[in-house]
Amino acid sequence: MNLFLLAFIAVAVLLILLLAWAVRPPRKTLAAPDDIIETLSEKRHYERLPQILQCLRPEDTDFLHTRGYDNLVKRVRRERKRIALDYLRYLEQEYQLLLDASRVLAKVAPEVSALDEFERFRLNLRFVLYCRYLRWRLRLGLSPWTIFGILGDMEGNITLRLEAATTSIGERAAIASEFPLFLQNRGDDSK
Amino acid sequence: MPEMAPLVLRNLSWALTTLLEIILLWYLVRKKLHRTHPAFFLYVLMAVAQSAIVALTYRLLEPRSPTAFGVAWATQAVVVFVRWLAVMEIAKKALAAYTGIWAMASRILIGIGVCALVYAVAAARLHWYLAVLNADRAVELCTAGFIVGMFLFVRYYGITMPPFDRMLAIGFCLYSCFEVINDSLYENWVYAAGALWSYLDLITYMASLILWIMAARNYSEATNTMTQPELLPEHYAELSQKLNSRLLVLNHRLDHLFRSEDRS
Repeated sequence: MNLFLLAFIAVAVLLILLLAWAVRPPRKTLAAPDDIIETLSEKRHYERLPQILQCLRPEDTDFLHTRGYDNLVKRVRRERKRIALDYLRYLEQEYQLLLDASRVLAKVAPEVSALDEFERFRLNLRFVLYCRYLRWRLRLGLSPWTIFGILGDMEGNITLRLEAATTSIGERAAIASEFPLFLQNRGDDSK
Repeated sequence: MPEMAPLVLRNLSWALTTLLEIILLWYLVRKKLHRTHPAFFLYVLMAVAQSAIVALTYRLLEPRSPTAFGVAWATQAVVVFVRWLAVMEIAKKALAAYTGIWAMASRILIGIGVCALVYAVAAARLHWYLAVLNADRAVELCTAGFIVGMFLFVRYYGITMPPFDRMLAIGFCLYSCFEVINDSLYENWVYAAGALWSYLDLITYMASLILWIMAARNYSEATNTMTQPELLPEHYAELSQKLNSRLLVLNHRLDHLFRSEDRS
């Protein structure tokens, strides 16, 4: 059997596997708009980013080290690392929520840009990879500054996009709700 | 085309397939699905008509004659075209309620279909006697790619698809994928696998028919009426406001963070 025919069979098998994956029941359903509004109004984790960064800096525990509390330094750093890892987990959850929000918005938006959707997919992939990388850096005791900055930036980016989308939807909704009124007024004027 | 199969077995398979198609038609009419899914109804109707026309042609003419070959593949072309309409009908039903997603997805799905078609034609061996087989495989690959793409969109955006439409799409996709495999196997063992190919073709089609019959039998209007998403203007405004305030806080925090990093 030649390579082309094998490739056709492989593509068909791949499509069957993709179909099986795509028709599985979803692990979780997307939140309703009301739930997203409620969750977005809660206090955000990224607000604590400066404190997390501060507590991870070696200078923050230098005074303990200079006074000879080496065991205490180790314990403090271990606990702070754990807190940073927890922070990272919450940041991931938060990012996921923003993605959910953008999907819900896409469902109700009169226009969805394919480029924006691909960009969001790319951002998501990058975010996941950075999170994994950062987690390993933290576990290995390496400096995480730059990556934390990038992650915060990415979250800001997606928030910006969401904001633009909701503004556009809001404007359209306002126009749509005013349009019948406009027609009615014109009708009244002509009488 | 099943002209290579032994006559009696071929006729029996055809009869069974036609019987299943008629049962499906009966369920479609009984559940009034011919009104909601006209393209799918037309597809099944055309499939029955094709069986009748090809059976009549084989009875009147020599099955291996060029005229019989022409009639068989011409009717197949019509059936494939109507099947494509049925697939489009399902995709539209699933996604068209979401205006923005449909506008984007329809273009991407058609793009996927065209890519699959081009790939299938480009990768095929250029022999005149395989032209019809290649065309058939290209169309099947295009259909399967389109349906899988549609299901990926449905999953990504968490769209609820009516169970009946879902089963129709799964049936079409499985049939198309197995057809691609069958065509490739047939191309490799062009003479030896003739009869086997005919039966694989019929078996996959029968499996899809059974799937569709089950779906039509279990169809109920309540489970297949999906509520369309709605977001009131006041919700838009509220969401926009919340996101604005969140954006401001985020900007402020990030500014603060970068300034503190610069200082350090």
